[in-house]
Amino acid sequence: MSPDADDALRLIRDSAAAIAPRQGDLGRIRALRFTRPGFDRAVWRQMAELGWLGLLVEEARGGSGLGLAEFCALAEELGAGLVPEPLIFAAAIAPILPDAAAVIGGERIVLPAWQEQPNTLAPGAATRFAGGRVSGAKHFIPMADGADAFLVATADGLALVEREAPGVTLDLAMTQDGGHFGTLALRNAPATPVPGRIEPALESITLALAATALGLMDRAFALTLDYLRTRRQFGRAIGSFQALQHRAADLKLQLELTRASVAAAAAAPSPAVISRAKARAAEASLLLTRQAIQLHGGIGYTDEYDVGLFLRKAMVIANLHGSAALHRARFAALAPDMTE
Amino acid sequence: MDAAALDALDDETFRLEVRRFVEAHYPPALRNPPKRLHWAENQVWYRLLAAHGWLAPGWPREYGGMGLSAAKQLIVIEEFERHGCARTNDHGVVMVGPLLIRYGSDAQKQFFLPKILSGEAIWCQGYSEPNAGSDLASLRTEAVIDGDDYVINGQKTWTTLATDANWIFLLVRTDKAAKKQEGISFLLVPMDSPGITVRPIINLELHDEFCEVFFDNVRVPRANLVGEENKGWTMAKALLGFERIFLGSPRQSAYALVRLKLLAERMGLAEDPTFQDRYTRLRLDLEDHKALYETFAAQLRRGEALGADVSMLKIHQSELFQRITEAMLEIAGENAGLLEPMEGNRALHPAGLFIQARPATIYGGSNEIQRNILAGSVLDLPAT
Ligand SMILES: Cc1cc2nc3c(=O)[nH]c(=O)nc-3n(C[C@H](O)[C@H](O)[C@H](O)COP(=O)(O)OP(=O)(O)OC[C@H]3O[C@@H](n4cnc5c(N)ncnc54)[C@H](O)[C@@H]3O)c2cc1C
Repeated sequence: MSPDADDALRLIRDSAAAIAPRQGDLGRIRALRFTRPGFDRAVWRQMAELGWLGLLVEEARGGSGLGLAEFCALAEELGAGLVPEPLIFAAAIAPILPDAAAVIGGERIVLPAWQEQPNTLAPGAATRFAGGRVSGAKHFIPMADGADAFLVATADGLALVEREAPGVTLDLAMTQDGGHFGTLALRNAPATPVPGRIEPALESITLALAATALGLMDRAFALTLDYLRTRRQFGRAIGSFQALQHRAADLKLQLELTRASVAAAAAAPSPAVISRAKARAAEASLLLTRQAIQLHGGIGYTDEYDVGLFLRKAMVIANLHGSAALHRARFAALAPDMTE
Repeated sequence: MDAAALDALDDETFRLEVRRFVEAHYPPALRNPPKRLHWAENQVWYRLLAAHGWLAPGWPREYGGMGLSAAKQLIVIEEFERHGCARTNDHGVVMVGPLLIRYGSDAQKQFFLPKILSGEAIWCQGYSEPNAGSDLASLRTEAVIDGDDYVINGQKTWTTLATDANWIFLLVRTDKAAKKQEGISFLLVPMDSPGITVRPIINLELHDEFCEVFFDNVRVPRANLVGEENKGWTMAKALLGFERIFLGSPRQSAYALVRLKLLAERMGLAEDPTFQDRYTRLRLDLEDHKALYETFAAQLRRGEALGADVSMLKIHQSELFQRITEAMLEIAGENAGLLEPMEGNRALHPAGLFIQARPATIYGGSNEIQRNILAGSVLDLPAT
């Protein structure tokens, strides 16, 4: 990687620290849990000022024209901070939106609405768009309650639907991390057509979710190592017990495999390597956060101690944009097996 | 039918009898509770079990138990879990009863055992402290003799359902000079004693299930000492055997496996060969676990003390429970992240059960500690 590229990544990570400091307390995140819309518009505008919403938009259209490596670095930091703002979803579709300026500027929040079945990567095709009206239902839209509009995938192309338009209803189901999934029901809702395809954006989000998982793993692991060093039982630090040392060593291995997998996919993205990264991140993040609870003992099972927040986030992310099993199957279908 | 008659039935007839009992009596509104219920919610079931003499399947009949064979106790567990029955406030039945039957004075037995069976005495377990978890023997809550009383000062934590209990069984330090295991005693204390403060702690299920319990000059008569002073550790260790066989019973795994299957059907995966293989593996683990459980339960029924090897049951059961819920999470798709049961159906709550399974490897002696016990006391491997 060139020195310039390294600099760009470092800049992104540094700028992320303004909103999601690695050492910061999680008071803001706790306060927003189980509220509506579950995130903060003021922080969203701050993110816009930092250029994050236009990160993937080409410079000619007012963005910064960066790539998936930078996008993943950002997602990783946001994951480490358990940031509830649905930035990766909005930023991934910004390049295909017609009036990108308001979106990049943070005044208008548009989220993708594509899914009709659980556990899939294929935009559902039961939603129809004809005569300027959309009908259908879309599920599992993270933080949908904060959107001004939705980019809806239909059998007849992409459609932009305003949240407040007639024929639009949004139902929310709370998620373990304190956010929610929206279910969008459209009954002859007025919409404007948007040229282009949503699939590339869905791939970017899938990879960014793997990076988010990496970030939260990293932070949960640091918290756990700290605890192993300071918690004493039997007159010694519990981290001195070899059984726990081996556990920590195994978790470190999974953490670094995830980091390597995400970095490889970000450097040379293809559906196969993105699946590889997501499959790893889904499993490893659940393993690591489960073990983080275990290694904390009773205090790990309290809501007031932070480590549980990371488990809850991992539970929400693990199967979003496809479970580990789905991505293993997709990898097997797409990646030539050189051993044959 | 009385307990002796029930125990004389053949196993299949007995199973039908249990099923009939549950279906006839279990309150439908309490099926598949998404969280552990508080006494206010589940006492109906406790009292029903008590009224029909079904509360204590493992206690000897002379003390009001059913005195069932190990195989029949298993059948009771299976049928209750299949139906989705709530866990009761069972510390009295599972731990205090067996403790008193073995170590209690006649007066204590006569006073407490009927109160446990009637639901008048509801218990919580005061062992763990902020700095005495795995290293329980380093506990510091102390009890000092003053006239006819003990005066207790200190703090317990992670005390499950302490807000529901009117009694607590407590490990306290009564001799600060002795080696740490040798200065511990067992006390039975009313929760309404002046000087006791209870603070609920919200757990990962976002439920106020466990608590901190503070003791500030709490007085309790010396007659509430169980066994001899400073012999509490020996009794506590014997009692851990009862706790471990309870936690090692297939209760939780049996419950979870039925829900895994329901979820697979709902997700359209029941016929999927990969799922079927995984499910069958879990099912076989459960069947073999039951067989192992039965050998330990039979020892108890013969009146034998359980050895340190009962740790195997606790390890395997808690990890099987977790593996089943992990399978649920993996096949649930996006539903794995939901806060509430899917589609309002309490039997379909993969996220809830997954979280509920987390502490099973922590409480009752963490699985790391159980493995240390196996390696040291059972396998006789050298210490570090
Ligand atoms: C849901 C729940 C309910 C509970 N209910 C009760 C209750 O009703 N009454 C009660 O008294 N207690 C209760 N407990 C407390 C429980 O018994 C303790 O949490 C448990 O003994 C562990 O102690 P700890 O939490 O202090 O963890 P620690 O002892 O600090 O352990 C932290 C980690 O270090 C590991 N560890 C510690 N020592 C060693 C070692 N020598 N070798 C290897 N690993 C080691 C542990 O396994 C764990 O992973 C409950 C706990 C939970 C989670």
